[in-house]
Amino acid sequence: MSHRNARQATLCGWGFISPWLLGFFSLTLFPFVASLYYSFCRYDLLSPPRWVGGENYRQLADELVSGGPLAHALWNTGYFALVSVPLSIALGIGLAVMLSWPVRGQPLFRTLLYLPSVLPILATAILWQWLFDPRQGFVNHTLGLLGLGQPGWFTSVEELLVGGTPGSKDALILMALWSTGNFMVIYLAALGDIPRSLYEAAQLDGASRWRQFWHITLPLLSPVIFFNLVMGTIQAIQTFTQIYVLSAGQGDPDRSLLVVSLHLFLTAFQDLRMGYASAMAWLLFVLVMGITWLLFRTARRWVFYQGAVR
Amino acid sequence: MRRVKTPRFAFLMLLTVTGLFSLPMGVMVLTSLKSPAELDANPHAWLPDRWQASNYREVVTTMPYFLYLRNTLVLCVGSVVGSVLSCSLVAYGFARLRWRGRDRWFGLLIATMLLPWQATMIPRFLLLRELGMYNSLAALIVPTFLGDAFYIFLLRQFFLSLPEDLLDAARLDGCSELGVFVRIAIPLSKPALATVALFQFVAAWNDFNGPLLYLSDPEKFPLAYGLERLVSAYSTQTHLVMAGAVLFSLPIVLLFLLTQRMFLRNTVSGSIKG
Amino acid sequence: MNVSRWQLATLVVIGIVLAALAAVEGRRPVPEGRQEVVFWHFWGGPYRPVVERIVERFNRRQARYWVRAVAMPGSNLDTKMFLSVTGGDPPDLINQDKPIVADWAQRGIVRPLAELASDAELEALDTWLYPPAKKLGSYHGTLYGLCNGLDVRALYYNQTMLADYELQPPKNLEALDQIAQAIAPPDATEPRAYFGYLPDPRRLWAWGIVFGGQFYDPATGRVSADDPRIVQALAWMGSYSQRYGSRQVAAFRQGDQRLPGSTFPLFGPYDPATQQRRYGNYALVMDGQWRVAEITRVNRAALAAGKPVHQYGVVPLPTPAGGRQQAGWVNGNFFLVPRGARQPAGAWEFMKFWSGFGGHEAQAAQACAEGGWIPASPQVVTEPVFQSYLNQNPLMKTFVELAKSEHQVPIPALPVAALYRREIEAAGQAVMYRGADPETVLREVTQRVQARLDEVRHASR
Repeated sequence: MSHRNARQATLCGWGFISPWLLGFFSLTLFPFVASLYYSFCRYDLLSPPRWVGGENYRQLADELVSGGPLAHALWNTGYFALVSVPLSIALGIGLAVMLSWPVRGQPLFRTLLYLPSVLPILATAILWQWLFDPRQGFVNHTLGLLGLGQPGWFTSVEELLVGGTPGSKDALILMALWSTGNFMVIYLAALGDIPRSLYEAAQLDGASRWRQFWHITLPLLSPVIFFNLVMGTIQAIQTFTQIYVLSAGQGDPDRSLLVVSLHLFLTAFQDLRMGYASAMAWLLFVLVMGITWLLFRTARRWVFYQGAVR
Repeated sequence: MRRVKTPRFAFLMLLTVTGLFSLPMGVMVLTSLKSPAELDANPHAWLPDRWQASNYREVVTTMPYFLYLRNTLVLCVGSVVGSVLSCSLVAYGFARLRWRGRDRWFGLLIATMLLPWQATMIPRFLLLRELGMYNSLAALIVPTFLGDAFYIFLLRQFFLSLPEDLLDAARLDGCSELGVFVRIAIPLSKPALATVALFQFVAAWNDFNGPLLYLSDPEKFPLAYGLERLVSAYSTQTHLVMAGAVLFSLPIVLLFLLTQRMFLRNTVSGSIKG
Repeated sequence: MNVSRWQLATLVVIGIVLAALAAVEGRRPVPEGRQEVVFWHFWGGPYRPVVERIVERFNRRQARYWVRAVAMPGSNLDTKMFLSVTGGDPPDLINQDKPIVADWAQRGIVRPLAELASDAELEALDTWLYPPAKKLGSYHGTLYGLCNGLDVRALYYNQTMLADYELQPPKNLEALDQIAQAIAPPDATEPRAYFGYLPDPRRLWAWGIVFGGQFYDPATGRVSADDPRIVQALAWMGSYSQRYGSRQVAAFRQGDQRLPGSTFPLFGPYDPATQQRRYGNYALVMDGQWRVAEITRVNRAALAAGKPVHQYGVVPLPTPAGGRQQAGWVNGNFFLVPRGARQPAGAWEFMKFWSGFGGHEAQAAQACAEGGWIPASPQVVTEPVFQSYLNQNPLMKTFVELAKSEHQVPIPALPVAALYRREIEAAGQAVMYRGADPETVLREVTQRVQARLDEVRHASR
């Protein structure tokens, strides 16, 4: 390729990606840098930002160490992400495998299982609050008929993994699992890409269905699992709308639903502390980067790429 | 996949799981058809004693449902057009053109997916405000014309799977890259573009934070945010709130039913293995 | 075939768009020669028509202004309003009930009434308003908001239920505790259908005052949530959770507030078999005057249908030894004019009209009677329309009496009130739902809120 051509090709390439470039500089990079600047300021959106140095970050550390709302928020976000992401991956794979079985009515099953993730978040939240009401909801009514306990679900500060009784976060996780269809669809597509010959060869060797799943399906799905793990974690950490709706806009009961994104929103738009909120946003960003980096580190051990990596 | 030995077992299992997943939706619809007195007296009954369809009329007449619906559709259609146009163009640039620095820029694009929206929320608000887009649907539509990392990523994977010969043939015929893109790549990518369109349609339909931050005039509210108004006005009337929720979900469910075969089959079939 | 499905889908979308476009009514045009005043409020449900009638009355009598009322979602109206001011497109007038006057006044988001009213008007207003109504709209001695209705809380009781148990309405806090235990003895193991009484964890604002505490000490200029009497109040609230278990208490008290479908918690459903009215969630509950209208409505409908009803009564919040009589937490609805409003003069005319100030008392009395609101001024209360309303609704009298009391205290007008409110509500929940120690929790709240307050004060210096 000649020099001229190379320059032309680059120009052409830039031309094609120019919409994104414009978006990147104006809607991502600029806000990103600006929020870094604000995080060193005191700012209420109305009067100009005033430089305060590392004060916001000092307060952030303070709030965390003294067990203030931020400490609750980090714990809640962590709990939600840590429990909901692995479960949604397992559930997504399970459902996808079932949906790949050639049975009658398969399209209908696919539609019905995907439908919950198309339902509007607000509608879903209202619906689940109704289902999970400890005294009038269908869930506890059913548990009662089965002779099981009566958890407080959204009304309770309890945590299944800590005290053994489900509370608000666990109800939130169940709700998230219900609308896990987007992941399911991705697994379904990936399952379709697995060459049939691999299973046929395994059958000739007399491998059981379970062994086939464990040694063929899972390894070949691992890149998709990895993708969903990363994206799912990021999504879980950013979840806002349903929590805002379900927790009276302030993380009720007793901050058991106060996640970082909600705390940040309240700090910014109720307490009018944009600088402090920006510092919190940066904390969130560093957290996400750290987790992603960790995930990529471990990926080498368990993600199996079929053929060449593009 | 090999034939399932016990199709009846598989069928029953799917039926159970699907039934369980569909129950909440059933409760939503049935509750929306009950009268308040009945809900009060016997909240656990499945079927209404008396089917009260008038709940729907009440919701539609007390809340400007059709106004909200129109706003939602403007938002959905506008942002779908924006996303499909911009993301396909950018994705093609990353997939099928060779130019210096391409992979580095692509890496940057992937990295932006990791950025929490909260980190850019405030300056973004200020910027769009400066551009005069506060209290306008434009604040929610215009950014979609500037690409979205996830959709670009999906489309790039799809474009990568197109056979090079086809594109080269067109180039030899004297087509410019833009010509190749419009005449060859786009027609071949309809399923992938449709997937992006549907994803974006659903996302715009559901967007709550956008209207919360950017819209102040109720005549511009989309359904997702208008429903919040219904909830706060009717917080004491479950049957009406549920009817609102059904009305809110219905159009998108219909759209999904119409397109689901295509959608479920083709989603990301280029797959995520990059 | 796939493509045709997509085409079909597109057609459906276009069809819905057209249908929607056809069904949408245009905005009612502003009449010739009138200036439009954009007015945001959060009134929904049965209040919506009342508000619409007030606006209509105003518009009919006006030659200069024309008010366009806009119903907003109530749960985040304050956030919306703030963003609209920063976005440069605010309404001309807003009516809401969140305690944000100080937060916003401090940052110049709202305009002081002195910029709208004449000196004579301001002076008259000073004596015209009830003391709590004045406190609600003021920051640092300057009036920013004009109150149009007070929200007063008292203790409702189900008279029928108390009679069934042969109990009398409580005269003091001790009696309240005894009633609670008589109806719901602490040793039962089965999940209960109802309680005698359960405190609401969000209402330390009220009980703290009743116990004799104060949340802010004007003498020292310091936040004082750790006032020993407030700690005592919170410990008393927590005692109910210790007695009945946090989960039970939370299932009742959280459920009351947020579940769509919940109404006044003293109402019980009708038993489908016997057609008898069941007990509600409690025999007694602290609630605001708006329930009076609800009780009237519900009982009237039931009697018309030939069903039995329960009778309800109301008493001031019962007091412990050494506490305050006729005390509690008062809140209210008030008008604010945001910075950047285009029609402040029209906004001022309308807020006077609704609240009744400046010769509009009779019309305000009419509005309060229709909406079941407590007027912000004694001069509206004495109007014949409102007096006859009181005679028809004797339960309201208790609330109107309470509105005069100097022990009805709003959330302190601090520029960190939004934060303070969240912190106090969380403190109540921490004690009642987690069994936290009241003193520790309130000390932490005090420290956090004080630190923010210092910061705001320092920044404005």
